[in-house]
Amino acid sequence: MSATLIPESASAAGTMRRNFWRGVWRVMKRKPSRMAGVVIVVGFAFMGVFGPMFYPDHLPGDINQITKPPSWEHWFGTDPQGRDVLALVITGSRYVLLCAAVTAVITVVAGTAIGLFSGFKRGRWDTVLMRITDMKLTIPGLPLLLVLATVWKFGSPMQMGLVLGLLGWGGVARAVRAQTLSLRERGFIEAARGLGLSTTHIVSKELLPSMAPYIAMNMLISVTGAVYAQVGLFFLGVLPYESDNWGVMLNLAVFQAGAMIQPNALGYLLAPLLAILLLTLGIVLVVDAMDEIFNPRLREE
Amino acid sequence: MKRLAAVVALLGLATATACSGGEGTTNTSGSSGGGGGLFTTIDVNRPGLEPSAPPNPYAPKGNSFSAFNSMKLGWVKNHLTDPNVALPGLAASWEIAPDNSSITLKLQPNAKWSDGKPVTAQDVQLSIGIAYTVGSTAFAVTPGAAGAAGEVTVVDDQTLKITQNMDNPSPKFARGVLDTTVVPAHVWSSVLPADFWDKIKTARGEGADAEKAREEITGLGEKVLAFAPQKDVSAGPFVLERVNPGEALLVKNKNFFNAANVAPDQVKFLNYTGNEQIWNYLTSGKLDHSGFVAAPTDVMNRIKAAPGSEVIKGYSPVAVGLAFNQSKKPYDNVHVRRGLAHLINREEVTKVASPEGGTAATTTSGIHQKAAQAWIPETVPQLEPYAPDLAKAEEEFKKAGLQKKDGKWALADGTPWKVSMHAPSGFSDWLSAQENIKSQLIKGGVDAEVVTTTDYPLYLEELAAGKYDAGFWLMALGPAPYDIFQRLYGASNGWTNVQGKVSHSAPGKNGNWMGGPEEIEVDGEKINPGELTGELNSATAEEAKPIMAKLAKAANQDLPVIQLWDYVNTQFVNNSRFTGWPHDDEILRLGTGVLASGVWIQAGMIKSKK
Repeated sequence: MSATLIPESASAAGTMRRNFWRGVWRVMKRKPSRMAGVVIVVGFAFMGVFGPMFYPDHLPGDINQITKPPSWEHWFGTDPQGRDVLALVITGSRYVLLCAAVTAVITVVAGTAIGLFSGFKRGRWDTVLMRITDMKLTIPGLPLLLVLATVWKFGSPMQMGLVLGLLGWGGVARAVRAQTLSLRERGFIEAARGLGLSTTHIVSKELLPSMAPYIAMNMLISVTGAVYAQVGLFFLGVLPYESDNWGVMLNLAVFQAGAMIQPNALGYLLAPLLAILLLTLGIVLVVDAMDEIFNPRLREE
Repeated sequence: MKRLAAVVALLGLATATACSGGEGTTNTSGSSGGGGGLFTTIDVNRPGLEPSAPPNPYAPKGNSFSAFNSMKLGWVKNHLTDPNVALPGLAASWEIAPDNSSITLKLQPNAKWSDGKPVTAQDVQLSIGIAYTVGSTAFAVTPGAAGAAGEVTVVDDQTLKITQNMDNPSPKFARGVLDTTVVPAHVWSSVLPADFWDKIKTARGEGADAEKAREEITGLGEKVLAFAPQKDVSAGPFVLERVNPGEALLVKNKNFFNAANVAPDQVKFLNYTGNEQIWNYLTSGKLDHSGFVAAPTDVMNRIKAAPGSEVIKGYSPVAVGLAFNQSKKPYDNVHVRRGLAHLINREEVTKVASPEGGTAATTTSGIHQKAAQAWIPETVPQLEPYAPDLAKAEEEFKKAGLQKKDGKWALADGTPWKVSMHAPSGFSDWLSAQENIKSQLIKGGVDAEVVTTTDYPLYLEELAAGKYDAGFWLMALGPAPYDIFQRLYGASNGWTNVQGKVSHSAPGKNGNWMGGPEEIEVDGEKINPGELTGELNSATAEEAKPIMAKLAKAANQDLPVIQLWDYVNTQFVNNSRFTGWPHDDEILRLGTGVLASGVWIQAGMIKSKK
């Protein structure tokens, strides 16, 4: 019997997987904007990973092309050093996106771990962890970052991402805990308990998969948060100058090239802004698609 | 309900109009010889207005605007070579003894404070006392300080004689005296104790008593800085009316000695926090005058295109250079510094960083190129120009023992080398320049980076603490020869001038961050540049020239800094509301901290268009 059961269950899993991807494809097809979202996000990921490889380590400048408006040769114009703005956006994406990715991973891992543990264990652990989370949530992020920037030079995107991640897990932890509290009372968890399954099994095989879409969405949203935070800090000039960064580009566009005064530098100002806007748009569209994929009620509609 | 909302809205509108009416309408009231009007400007030396700060010229954020509601004895000018030239301020005229041993001042006969009391020699005497407490070049209690005053004698109500302590005289003694701010004795007398002048006498002596007196005098400085007069009492053409976070309003002082020729009835100082805001004011034609502010070419073109806008250029005794910390390797090796000098195209740097406000340095001499032509014209052609030359740079690096690996220069032991240049983050022209230098160095096979520091005071602090390999450094700060060269061979390079005696400290000690050699061989002769610079402090103009020639040669071959560009004095004016702007080089460039338009207005040069 068992010999015949195994291929059956394997093929059932295979069918489920196939059905899932078919469902994904259907959801994507329903709104073309969702496809656009995926293309944008994949495009940015590609840009961050491979983009800088297309350019030399140090972008060459042309002093006869200082702060020029957009043209065929330079789609977004040139900066005050005579460098191509588009090339700056592409080479600058690596720092921004790597930092955002680190932030997202830390936010989600720390937030989920604390939320799950807290919600599942309840009792004293819950109280202690949630009070810590509350305290964390009351600390205003930007002022703290401004203070931190004076003592710590965020030289690498990893460091920056680590700090932003450690500042951002509070909201995720609270939300995951709430979800856990509601799920742990559901029938399937009780059944799992009744079957005598281990806590590890219940958490990893029953609880986590139910929350995975929610966590994934949070991860994507924290990417945008991290981009805003670091670009903002660089724009304010509180972080060390690093020429390959969107925030520094915005800062220099306004304070060095005078983009608010003379139109020639507008391309320099708009290019990084457009990149941030596009990335946010892509993420929002993907989150929208994910929402429908994982939420059966929406799918049925 | 709707009706009530409409009434409230109307009332609100009426209040708003009533409030804003004060700005626009009152400026035409009150007649004057100059024609009246509102003059709008900024205090280019001090970003950020502080409404709660007192009208105290010594308070760091004080609402005291030099040449507007704060007066000095004279307005010192930056002549190419003579430090002692000035325009009359509260002193109408003065006589300087041929040997610089004394200066006799005659005050403006009709000078009055804004409360109607006359300006007297006693006011000046008290102001000199205050200058002692806060530290000044002519009024210093440091024993043996060069160019310090000996005696201050009140000859009569309008005349004072100030003698120089000839133990350690300085050719710029008179400049130090004329550069003294005068405050009203009837308001300020409480800041100095009754026995103050006895204390000064004691402080000039030696021993424990003198030391204690000196401490007491400098201790009084804090009281001076914190002094907050209830009301502004000004002897200048204007008096402070009110300050809010957006602007400071000054109104004409009817008691000013030359009030008949002061054109504007009101002066408004606009608040700003950065260059970009000043560009905004200038491109919209808001400002009648602004001192130098760095601007990129396109912004400069927009400023010039504003209606009535004019950019007046003149001489400015300031240059900027890339200074090295020679305690750090490989900058201790002169060949490395020379090689770097050959890699940097200064014309290109200036074009990117300061196309309007600077002229590329012809070479490194430590002196502004215009002043160099005036002081040492026959030495200038002998100096190495350090033209951009890749082959020469390579030759110098090889002499220094550097290694070239895969097209990149590394240190002698093979470890990677990266030139790390520092600049304060707000200085857009410096950052532009460093970014350009970085590109040029990388092209020449030298790895480089630009690192910023939050603000200028912190930058100077970290630079002095020896934290940077290389950073930008203001130099050639004339007109006095000593001031020019002490930027290269002064305290920052190890030589301190105490009691007229120059002593050298080892690199890393007593503020010596440049860490250059104590002796340099120039034309086969070993010279001590710090001691020679010290000699300039008391040398006459003729004595100074050969010393300056030697020092220029030393700076040129030893390169403690690579001089990049010499600043051009750029003044922004607007002819829409006021005219009569001076174009004379010397009147354009006034001493540090003085707001030029105030001097021009009080001298009656500026006329209202109406």
